[in-house]
Amino acid sequence: MHPAPSIILFTVLSGFGFGLISIVGLLQFLSQISAGDIVIFSVIGLFFSIIGLISSFFHLANKKNAIKSMSQWQTSWLSREAISSIFCLSIVVGNIGWVFVQNRYINEVGIILFLLSLFTIFTTSMIYAQLKTVPSWNNMLTPALFIFTALAGGSILLLDYASLVLLLIFGVLQVLFWYIADQSFIHKETSVGTALGFSKNEDIRAFDVAHTNRNYLLNEMVYKVARKHAIKIRYISFFAAFVLPMSLILMFPGNFSISILVIGIHFVGIYFSRWLFFAEAKHSVSFYYN
Amino acid sequence: MTKLPKCEDKKLGLLIDLDTCVGCHGCVVSCKEWNSSGDEKQLSDINSHQKDPVGTFLNRVHSYERENSSTNEAETFYFPRSCLHCEDAPCVTVCPTGASYKREEDGIVLVNEDDCMGCGLCAWACPYGARELDLVSGVMKKCTLCVDRIYSEELPPEDRVPVCVKSCPTGARAFGDFNDPNSDVSKKVRERGGVDLMPEMQTKPVNKYLLPRIKSKDAVSSVGSVVEEETDATGLLGWVDRALSKF
Repeated sequence: MHPAPSIILFTVLSGFGFGLISIVGLLQFLSQISAGDIVIFSVIGLFFSIIGLISSFFHLANKKNAIKSMSQWQTSWLSREAISSIFCLSIVVGNIGWVFVQNRYINEVGIILFLLSLFTIFTTSMIYAQLKTVPSWNNMLTPALFIFTALAGGSILLLDYASLVLLLIFGVLQVLFWYIADQSFIHKETSVGTALGFSKNEDIRAFDVAHTNRNYLLNEMVYKVARKHAIKIRYISFFAAFVLPMSLILMFPGNFSISILVIGIHFVGIYFSRWLFFAEAKHSVSFYYN
Repeated sequence: MTKLPKCEDKKLGLLIDLDTCVGCHGCVVSCKEWNSSGDEKQLSDINSHQKDPVGTFLNRVHSYERENSSTNEAETFYFPRSCLHCEDAPCVTVCPTGASYKREEDGIVLVNEDDCMGCGLCAWACPYGARELDLVSGVMKKCTLCVDRIYSEELPPEDRVPVCVKSCPTGARAFGDFNDPNSDVSKKVRERGGVDLMPEMQTKPVNKYLLPRIKSKDAVSSVGSVVEEETDATGLLGWVDRALSKF
């Protein structure tokens, strides 16, 4: 699949933003955070979520109809994502205002924000996980990876040792995701044979292409550039998103300025991870072009 | 509305005979022409008369060769690919704006371009690559089964079929109601074993394909006998063969 920068930035930035909001919400529920910190970190979370959503807006080819994406929540995960994110961010804004003015907070609002932001990340991941056409996405590892990526990123600023646990879960899920995506059984049912109505093991080869130039389908869904350097990029991604953050947090526990540095490094790693998430994914339409 | 209707009345679609298709791309050209003429909704091209032209098409014809397992010879066939108007159309349910919909009265899957925001998710959800985002208008394009022809009251009755069917010079494409067991397309599907594409995707396509018949071993060996097996010839041909072999 085409790794469009607007989509990668959307999932990385809004994932981090909603991850941060969910951690703030949890700490608010548990009374483990000061009113001042709720305001500061909620504003940061809000900022990243909105930047992410704006980025996804730039992916649309016909932006004037974007508002209509709130309408089909009964069947569409993308519609649910739009509604859920707007709803969640409205409550964040309300919570920030309340806490800022009153200088105290309501614990119950914290648990609502925690659950709602997790649900928003889940809806984002289901946009991809629902697609039978992309088998490496079409399983529950995709939502698990998206949720724990967001929680790990969001926890770096606010939690010390607990963020190590979340990072560890993220690291395991990430390796598992890559491992499963590499398995040949992932495309076990579809082949050029089934794509053309024959049996799976029919010996068929394209001898000419259907058009004289590239087209939308090839640009969007038959993206092959990544495969060449995929393994190297995985190492870079894993080192930046997991190994370096773990090491730095262990070496400098509770050091806030180091944790800002860690966030920056972690972002680079997650960006590469999401780039691979798209670039390595194989869509069933590519069988027509084999 | 992106909820899928039952479509208990009619299931209109195409039956494509890969045995008959000669890969002339006539359906591609006539489809492009019909759907780019007459109103403001175009299938656009970029750089159409220059280097690297790119355009939107609702129908593409691929070319394949397959090995005949009994003769080990390659056999070529052509494969027109377009929207299958699936009963469980995943492109419809993923649509966030309600632009994609399936008609209850005849099962045709359409895009309401006034609602489409060009996110491209329906194209990702389609296993068959049947949808292409128009790069000029920014909205999703797909086969309409020529809904503006088949119900037209202005066109003469014999022209009220999809233009790809009308223009096919070999009669490889047929249009009809797959819900009616007595329709021509339903009969052909039964008689010749019409198949679904990627049944594992559980989309339940309405369009069916008739696969190319495998050439018999005799068809291949009779060609081969002229070239290789002349030494077995008897009678007059055998005498000529023996005589010529002396030189």
